[in-house]
Amino acid sequence: MAHYSTSQFKNGLKLMLDGNPCSIINNEIRKPGKGQASNKVKLRDLVTGKTLEKTFKSGESVEGADVMELDMQYLYNDGSEWNFMDPDTFDQYVINDGAMDDVRGYLVEQDMCVVTLWNDNPISVTPPNHVMLEVVDTDPGLKGDTAGTGGKPATMNTGVVVQVPLFISIGEKVKVDTRTNEYAGRT
Amino acid sequence: MNMRDALKKRDNFLAQIRQFFSQRDVVEVQTPQLLDTPVADAYIDSITMQVNKDIEQKSKYLHTSPELEMKKLLAHGSGDIYQICTVFRDNEQGAQNFNEFLMLEYYRLGFDVHQLMDDIVQLLNALGIQSRVSKLSYAQAFFEYTDIDILNTDFEALKVVAKTHGLSTDFEWIEDLQIFLFTHLIEPKLKDLPLCFIYDYPIMQSALAKVEGQVAHRFELYMNGVEIANGYDELQEAKTYQQRFNDEINKRSVLDKTSVDLDKGFLSSLQNPLPQCAGVAIGIERLLSQINLK
Repeated sequence: MAHYSTSQFKNGLKLMLDGNPCSIINNEIRKPGKGQASNKVKLRDLVTGKTLEKTFKSGESVEGADVMELDMQYLYNDGSEWNFMDPDTFDQYVINDGAMDDVRGYLVEQDMCVVTLWNDNPISVTPPNHVMLEVVDTDPGLKGDTAGTGGKPATMNTGVVVQVPLFISIGEKVKVDTRTNEYAGRT
Repeated sequence: MNMRDALKKRDNFLAQIRQFFSQRDVVEVQTPQLLDTPVADAYIDSITMQVNKDIEQKSKYLHTSPELEMKKLLAHGSGDIYQICTVFRDNEQGAQNFNEFLMLEYYRLGFDVHQLMDDIVQLLNALGIQSRVSKLSYAQAFFEYTDIDILNTDFEALKVVAKTHGLSTDFEWIEDLQIFLFTHLIEPKLKDLPLCFIYDYPIMQSALAKVEGQVAHRFELYMNGVEIANGYDELQEAKTYQQRFNDEINKRSVLDKTSVDLDKGFLSSLQNPLPQCAGVAIGIERLLSQINLK
């Protein structure tokens, strides 16, 4: 894999750090009045999702990570594995349940997701910003109530619990923002 | 803030600085910005200008700091002086670094670095900055935020420390690694301190400051973690300047950077040594931006 010098650092560049692929989210050149420049870099570990900060000596080079982000369709989950398909090549990819902790509540069959591949193996999934989910359990709301006055928890068909307006009832489909886990309307 | 208000604020800020010095009988000077010799610092690069193409073309160098030209004045009996001027540096680009910036440089005769630090606090007070002031020696800062005894840790042991932090150990000189560790381990902690002086630097980082025992009488001022000022108890004798310049010139050749000649013009103007004095350079835009953040 190619190596990248600090002068090539930019947001989104994928690097190998401590054995994990990471993506640069912020790169700041720090030049003391007297002394050598260094790069203070914020990175996201693409496997653990954690953010880390590291300082590189200017001119230092770091191994790049073979990471690709592909649009894929979510097909189905067989209990322990999640199956995705690249619609261009029809290649299918399988992701273990453990890597799906943050997103399993937002995956709807046939939806297009972004799958991150490292050395051709899927390591994470980003669902669409908005998904349509069905309410399977919630307390009955009050008649005549309109949006805006508080809310109530509702369990969706995917298992995720979202705060919804009081007028929403079981069986309705609602739009959910997957970045904030917030109710975003009914259509 | 609209353009006019922003300009007035800046204008007022500079007027307050001039008033502060006027009250203390510190005289404003202007020194040449086009120099015959580039700066010797290993990690500061001068911008080269080609002049006199129609007469006899030669290279001149934009000043990276008014320091040496002002020291010529001091050696010739100027007394307390200050200057506000634009300085130029090549190969500097980033969120806090630019190819040109406005510098306030001033010298106080008979002051040591602690008196100068107190004077800077008074200047900041006059500019409306009343924040709490912290003072930490370089060694104390490392003890406070790490378990490193920075003055008594040799190059090899310091590389081991860098390695345990997952950092590069590929350094030519111990001072570069000290600065690197300071940037990575100490500076982020200084973000919580509105005004923090770091003083008594390791002798390998003495720059043009006097050395005593294990430390150089040099200080830096950080505002919320941003380096604002750099000051010294100034070297006085031409021969000590010559040694420090030669150290930097040799470093430049090891680093394969453009070679720099010894500034003989400066050295010969120090036939009378500098009076004992302390001097400091302050980045005006950085200072203004810290004030505007409030």
